[in-house]
Amino acid sequence: MEIELLTQNLKEGINNVERLTKKSPTLQVLDNTLLEADKNFLKLISTNLETSMIWWVLSKVNREGRVAVPATFLNNLINLIKDNKVKLRSENKNLILEMANQTTQIQGIDPEEFPIIPQIEKKDPIEIEGEQLEQGLSQVVEVPSPSQVRPEISGIYFSFKKDKIKIVGTDSFRLAEKTISLEKKLKKEGQFILPQASGRELVNVLSQKPGPLKIYFEPSQVLFEWPGQEISYPHIHLLSRLIEGEYPNYQEIIPKKYTAQITLKREDFLTQIKEAGLFSGKISEVKLTPIAKSKKIKIFAQSPEVGKNEAYLTAKIESQGEVPEVSFNYRFLVDGLQNIKSSEVILKLSDGEGPGVLRPVGDLSYLYILMPIKAS
Amino acid sequence: MTNDELWQAVLAQIQFNVSRANFATWFRNTKILSKNQGEVLISVENSFSKEWLDNKYASLILKILRSLDRDTKAIEFRVALKKPSALSATRGTTKRDEEKERTGGPQLPFQEFTLDIKTNLNPRYTFDNFVVGGFNELAHAAARAVSENPGFVYNPLFIYGGVGLGKTHLLQAIGNRITELSPKRKIKYAPSERFLSSIVEAIRNHSIGELKKSFKDVDVLIIDDVQFFAGKEKSQEEFFHIFNFLYQSQKQIILSSDKTPKAIPSLEHRLRSRFEGGMIADIGSPDFETRLAILKAKCEEKNVELDSKVMEYIVSVVKNNIREIEGALNRLIIFQKINNKAPSPEIAKKLLESLIASPRRTTNFKKIIQVVSNLYDLTEKDLLSTARRKEIVKPRQVAMYLLREELKESYPAIGRRFGGKDHTTVIYAREKIAKELKSDDNLLTELDLIRQRLYTEF
Repeated sequence: MEIELLTQNLKEGINNVERLTKKSPTLQVLDNTLLEADKNFLKLISTNLETSMIWWVLSKVNREGRVAVPATFLNNLINLIKDNKVKLRSENKNLILEMANQTTQIQGIDPEEFPIIPQIEKKDPIEIEGEQLEQGLSQVVEVPSPSQVRPEISGIYFSFKKDKIKIVGTDSFRLAEKTISLEKKLKKEGQFILPQASGRELVNVLSQKPGPLKIYFEPSQVLFEWPGQEISYPHIHLLSRLIEGEYPNYQEIIPKKYTAQITLKREDFLTQIKEAGLFSGKISEVKLTPIAKSKKIKIFAQSPEVGKNEAYLTAKIESQGEVPEVSFNYRFLVDGLQNIKSSEVILKLSDGEGPGVLRPVGDLSYLYILMPIKAS
Repeated sequence: MTNDELWQAVLAQIQFNVSRANFATWFRNTKILSKNQGEVLISVENSFSKEWLDNKYASLILKILRSLDRDTKAIEFRVALKKPSALSATRGTTKRDEEKERTGGPQLPFQEFTLDIKTNLNPRYTFDNFVVGGFNELAHAAARAVSENPGFVYNPLFIYGGVGLGKTHLLQAIGNRITELSPKRKIKYAPSERFLSSIVEAIRNHSIGELKKSFKDVDVLIIDDVQFFAGKEKSQEEFFHIFNFLYQSQKQIILSSDKTPKAIPSLEHRLRSRFEGGMIADIGSPDFETRLAILKAKCEEKNVELDSKVMEYIVSVVKNNIREIEGALNRLIIFQKINNKAPSPEIAKKLLESLIASPRRTTNFKKIIQVVSNLYDLTEKDLLSTARRKEIVKPRQVAMYLLREELKESYPAIGRRFGGKDHTTVIYAREKIAKELKSDDNLLTELDLIRQRLYTEF
């Protein structure tokens, strides 16, 4: 192959596809990225067999062809290049970069060894604005935790129904649900469970590349496609395997009755919970006691090793009678409060050992449910 | 040659043409799914393997297959979807260990996630960890019998007993046992609250037909806490039809309640008689020894050791509710975790003080009248009137008895509340009930129930 392209564009592409490569003891080819020149594009391709990315870069193609080189190495090199334009050429298995005043040769491997990225049938796309998806997904993506035992909840659940997309994540102690309302009714309904790593990658790319996005899915894989902006050609493909299994019927854990509803300033609450967290000891327990009479909430934490912390925050409390104190893992509270962006937040408490619910004020699209710690 | 052997023979030859890394990656977990008129269907682990084999090795594999079996004409690769159920067998214990690792114990998980998605059963409840004693012997035996031969022995099976005595455990154990014995049977477990809300929802969405249909192909229907059906007429009617259909097709129905079908207020007659038509078994309050056995079992389950004096203390103070025994135990476990030493009997006493002392929970006149009239299916007005009909007189006496016993009101004060009755009438009522209590078990159950509702419900 022999091509010419803008360094900036190459840099952006290799920066992103490089993140997916990993050292694999069984298949060493996976730490390479495949460069494929055809027609007017250079395709940068990386995969870890779970998530794959193809990144198209507009190029002047003199000779088509392919070459596979170590991705991290190439990335490090390109990041140092100051030239505006670069010429790439393959020679045997090697990649040769030519710039105004230097020539570099990187040793590559046989491109035939590189995995073939599976195809997906492009039918009935779901169309969504990238900003919307990024904002929603980033509020959910960090909630699941890796689980060998229950793979189905280690991923992020997407449900497409009517004109709504729901994105859900849980680690069985807390659960976040984001509802994205679309203007148009969806052409295709369905649901899938996306591996968390792919979800993180998606947020990552979305944060750099907003704009419209198309989603195609099949029972075992999903494709996120960024259309090209200047040209009618895809710009980025993020393809991911899906997690098999049935997502639990999570609607049932959303409490229907509450004993108290407490409205608080989010910043203050967050800071105070973080502070209490320092004192919370091994089980990370902070105690919350709403005091309806004085319109305050007491936040208390102690551990024999560190000491104790007691603070009161002004709050609007709606309840019938006295509300018993309830304990939460402070980290779970912090996570939830950080996922919420509004200036005020509502904390709803339910009976006894039932879950608490965090909600932004004035925004019904986000829900964060967390289970308490058994009172000591 | 079987399909497996055939594929092994193929792999044996291919390994010479492929690098080890490639062989290990792309041929892992491949096998021949089927062979049909020369077309061989090969299952692969993921779509990457499919692409790879399809593009690079299809002709080689076909050649080798043909050399082994001359009829082979074509091959096709297919990504096999893994069955997640393969994991579920070991789920119970490892999951909990994993959780403990992460959180250190007292963090509560979402209960609903431990449930089986299809049956709604919690796999933790089994017969093996159900402690049998005199108080629940009958219910347990009936449950066992039903689980061995669902639909044919006691149908419906109706289990009743107070709060926190193990009704739900027993019901779920039946379901789990049936799944274990014959996994093909469709079991549906629903707390009545969920059942009712699904009916309400179906009515709202005009999908009651679909809902009924979804119940009609179950083999075992388990409904917990049917006393909540009280007063919900439309739901009772729908349930009646579902019940009849299942009953006539010899499908097992299992119900639980906190009282006998007779004592459930405003339950339609036809439904009541059906509930009574099978086997009714009660769960009473456990005796001291059984409580101790239960506590020991719980300790074992949670992997803690307690001083035998401490254990005896717990069961001597918590008498009527197994759930409270567990609560007391949890409190001690947390103490042990924080302080790294086992609680002595003195400390245990102190820790549990609030648990035992506080239940002097209060009630009031209004509440007593409300609960009594509710239980006997009367209006509060009737109860407070001066009417002398038999069906009102007894409940009224019960209410008087309770006002005296629970609130320690004076006899004349009680008399005034019931339309100015003489204090001697009240004294008579109290003594009559007190006397009947000694001989009438039904009345005893009723009073237990009233007290439970007075102090547990909000």
